[in-house]
Amino acid sequence: MRYLLATAALSFLAVLHVSAMSRVEVLGVTPDLLLAFAACWAIVRGQREAMVIVPLAGLLRDLTTSDPIGTSMLALSPIVLLAAARELRTVETEFVPALALVAAATVAYTVLRVGILAGTGQEVDWTGGLLRVALPGAVVNALFTPIVYLPVRWLSPALRPGVVGVGRTVPL
Amino acid sequence: MRVIWWLATVVSVSLISIVLSEQRALDPLDNLSLMAVSPLATGLDDLSDPVAELFEGVVDRGDLVRENQRLKEEVERLQAQLAQQEGAEQRVRELEEALGAQQSRPQDHLLVAGVIAQETSGLKRAIAIDRGTADGVDEGMVVLSGGGSLVGTVSRAFTDFAWVRLLTDPDSTVNAQVESGSGASSLTRGVAGGNLRHGLVLDMLPSDAQVKQGGLVTTSGLGGNYPQSLLIGEVSSVEERPQAPFKKATVQPAADPSSLETVLVLLSFKPARLEGP
Repeated sequence: MRYLLATAALSFLAVLHVSAMSRVEVLGVTPDLLLAFAACWAIVRGQREAMVIVPLAGLLRDLTTSDPIGTSMLALSPIVLLAAARELRTVETEFVPALALVAAATVAYTVLRVGILAGTGQEVDWTGGLLRVALPGAVVNALFTPIVYLPVRWLSPALRPGVVGVGRTVPL
Repeated sequence: MRVIWWLATVVSVSLISIVLSEQRALDPLDNLSLMAVSPLATGLDDLSDPVAELFEGVVDRGDLVRENQRLKEEVERLQAQLAQQEGAEQRVRELEEALGAQQSRPQDHLLVAGVIAQETSGLKRAIAIDRGTADGVDEGMVVLSGGGSLVGTVSRAFTDFAWVRLLTDPDSTVNAQVESGSGASSLTRGVAGGNLRHGLVLDMLPSDAQVKQGGLVTTSGLGGNYPQSLLIGEVSSVEERPQAPFKKATVQPAADPSSLETVLVLLSFKPARLEGP
């Protein structure tokens, strides 16, 4: 059931990204809610589920863009590796790691995608890709993360004991 | 260990998919996917109109935004007419110079197409249209806006839809000409290419060319990939470097890609790449 929900949400976000979201530009980039959703899922639900959700997100992205199929599947895969940082539990909340993962995943995604596009013979702008897409994208995607983090959090029944939202509850 | 196996699998599947996709073996899947989502994409686009207007002009009211859009389209249409006229004048002069040899361009045959998706990743500038090879669309064909200015070229055509590479894509280059004085006789040739930073840059202009802000940029027709005298945009700024061998100018495209809903595919013009020996 959770995978069905995730698939429906990812499909909606993939279509939204190439339609209505194309009009939303902040710092010259369009927020990538699909990437943010996959990253939030990885943080909230763990690496195991991310191993299914992330390639699915990549496939849906590939099917709705002009990139060769497989590009985003590969470029989004660092999310699963970076989600391992969740296990470090340096902070009690999951929101801050989610923000950090979204920002890091945006940079990794853009760099890998530029590399893949260059590998397939397309003209790419490495400097522009990093300075005008990856870095502003990391900030913008992090800013828009709450939009997808809250539903993912709400859908996740398995809260860690003693931790709710962004603070810690005190056991009586 | 599980992550390593997962990563190896994902990398292998992705690379195989990329290779197959490049060899066009996955075209049916591509074709099916975007056509399946196009009704939802169009619906979402329509639903988002008020939100987008609000986002685009936090200060402006929606009716002012619409009025502004209408006026922009009108300006674009008039500029396209002007460019066409200037091109026609030049053509007449060339024909007269060529001892009256007759030359004519075939009547333009345009195919109306709706925009169903837009590439928003920032690395590429492309739109998807709801016409494909089944409608006569082929890769390399020229795409115009409703106002008649150049939008881009078909970069990938599937059975029922096609991707159009916009002028502002880093992979796009067009042989162009720009007014560099008074009258159509003083046109300077250059190359207009997409740029992530500036959008569209007109490069390779002679260093002594008198290019001014507001000058109309049109296709030169060189190379045979675009018809002559299609409006590209107007010069928004000129980069002056005394030591540089060439001059550069930033161009504001006449057609705003974010507001494109309908485009025209020029079926009657066969780019040089599409024509047989």
